[in-house]
Amino acid sequence: MTLNSEYAIEVHNLTKRYKGLSAVDNISFTVKRGEVFALLGPNGAGKTTTVEIIDTIRKPTSGKVTLLGMDVTRKKYNIIPRIGVLPQGFSSFDRITVKETLQYYSRLFCCRKTDIDGLIAIVNLKDKVKVQYKNLSGGLKQRLGIAVALVNDPEIVFLDEPTTGLDPRARRAVWDVLLGLKKKGKTLFLTTHYMEEAELLADTVAIVKRGKITAMGSPGELIESNADYLVVMLKSVDENVFDMVRKMGFAPVYDSHGDIRVRLDRTDDVRRLLNAIEAGGASFTGLDVRKPNLEEVFLKLTDETLVEGSAGIKEAQ
Amino acid sequence: MNLHIMNGAIIRANIIWANIIVSIKSFYREKTVVFFRLAFPVILILVFGTIFMERDNEIFELSIQDLNRTPSSEKLVEAIRLSKRFKMTPVPPAADAKQYAKANKRNLIVIIPKDFEMSLMQKMGSNDFDTAVSLTQLYDPGSFGVTTKIGVLDMVLAGINQEMSGKPPLIVPEPVSVLKKKYRFIEFFVPGVIAMAVMTASLFGAVNVNAELLQKGVIRKLCTTPITRMDWILSNVFYQFILAVLSTAVMLLVSYIVFNVNLEINAWLVVFVALDVFSFVGLGMILTRVAKEAESASAAADALMFPMMFLSGTFFPVEMMPEFLQKFARVLPLYYVNEGLRAAMVAADHMAALKCALFIGAFAAVVFVLGTMITTLGGETA
Repeated sequence: MTLNSEYAIEVHNLTKRYKGLSAVDNISFTVKRGEVFALLGPNGAGKTTTVEIIDTIRKPTSGKVTLLGMDVTRKKYNIIPRIGVLPQGFSSFDRITVKETLQYYSRLFCCRKTDIDGLIAIVNLKDKVKVQYKNLSGGLKQRLGIAVALVNDPEIVFLDEPTTGLDPRARRAVWDVLLGLKKKGKTLFLTTHYMEEAELLADTVAIVKRGKITAMGSPGELIESNADYLVVMLKSVDENVFDMVRKMGFAPVYDSHGDIRVRLDRTDDVRRLLNAIEAGGASFTGLDVRKPNLEEVFLKLTDETLVEGSAGIKEAQ
Repeated sequence: MNLHIMNGAIIRANIIWANIIVSIKSFYREKTVVFFRLAFPVILILVFGTIFMERDNEIFELSIQDLNRTPSSEKLVEAIRLSKRFKMTPVPPAADAKQYAKANKRNLIVIIPKDFEMSLMQKMGSNDFDTAVSLTQLYDPGSFGVTTKIGVLDMVLAGINQEMSGKPPLIVPEPVSVLKKKYRFIEFFVPGVIAMAVMTASLFGAVNVNAELLQKGVIRKLCTTPITRMDWILSNVFYQFILAVLSTAVMLLVSYIVFNVNLEINAWLVVFVALDVFSFVGLGMILTRVAKEAESASAAADALMFPMMFLSGTFFPVEMMPEFLQKFARVLPLYYVNEGLRAAMVAADHMAALKCALFIGAFAAVVFVLGTMITTLGGETA
């Protein structure tokens, strides 16, 4: 046992198969104590299976997962008091109030010293303490789920898609809570398919595709190492510009505001593109030339379409 | 070592207690569930109790058409009235009895013939045993219960005949009950309803609550807490036991107040209620695991519960059924709860109660162990 290991989580050659299909395919990574680690991937990539093996809900087909120096398959009941989990689609007892829910989970962990009011304050549910679970909105339910995951003052907190299905305001409220936990130095392990979320919260991002990790590093590192092209945004363009750009051999796409986005592999291409538009007598009111963001890196690495509205881009052809 | 075991037991007790508190709060905040859980068996007792109380002291309506209208015929009418088994309605002598029966929905009219007094005098003055004074009984064979009414009338007439003969009866039946006291049907019925109500609530309580929590993902969350499968099942059992005790107390209270039942209340009642809960919560856990979906688990519980309700002797004695169904009834766990509760509460037969307790106890143990083995918390075995 490596109880004093610098790693909170160590995953070695983890594989999970269901009826011959690999949901998780021989992945390995480590998470340092105090680090915020995000598994980023499209639906069905194997994020939830991975996190559920690490947080002891499921058993692996092969490989080894060590949490705080303990093997998850052998020391489940030693690990559980030291971790907090917000499972995907968290739900609780309908007729039980916010405060009673926290008291209940605190009793399950036999925590006499749980600061219930403090937890309620962290997730900003002070005015909802007497509201029954079934009467909470989706965002409030998620915030309660996070508070529940903290009742035993865990060393590692697992959050499986903590903001899926929430409106932007509720999502930001959850992010504030998670940023607060990050500040406190908790080790956070989250899965998400929101780029903005990963970029804002994570120290390390692992991109998962079909059960395999295709890239891993800090958001900055991932962008830097994969930014071998430029993105040109043309705003308020004439109608014929789209065809004009396509005829030049590029692959333009409209974004949700009607602007055109073009991926260019060389700097020279920018000048060539602008000259062609000018020569064709077309016009545009705005121009933005930039390196790709995490979402575009993700799309490049996974060849997948993200969830609609994740960062304002709808298409990823 | 002992301290370690004691600490472990305290932790387990804390976890179970936390679950019981949440379950009870969820229960009393759902008013419709409270109503149906407590009121349904009480309604059954009130409805069936009223029906069977009437039957125990039933007074039949009897229409009599006196075509003779002599002191003898009037004496006969008076003798029937004095039996206190009939509420008499006179039919006008001029009326056509058949028409009258149809028009007034009478299922039995006794017609005293015109020559009744004369025939009676002749019969009393002669030694001819073959002749008798006839009394017409006009009845509707399609009417439910008319045969019982005719049977009671025959008994009353037999008594009148016996008295008129002036000789004491040669054979007198002396009914002796196998029970220490005289009991009414309601006193046989109430233990059956207790057994059935506890079974239904335990089975459906376990199936519905667990399937719902499983489907909603609450159990997945519980899997990441220190709760074990054993804690979870025991929490379910104790919670259902508390509700079963409450529901049984309400049923007995209503039975005492409304029907003034005379039942033995002893430790066996608690034993059988507990075994009933253990058996059917365990069975519910197994169904939840096997069926997975809430709807199919509920359907499977229905499929088990209905034959048990009707074939285990809850509503009518098993002896009324064909022999092969009686054999089938004896493999049903509810049969032993019914028989055990009746042995304890009606007959005060402790040996019979013990025998039934051993049967249902064995079943409860098997189902509980099996339930503990196959119940899961979360996506896979916990």
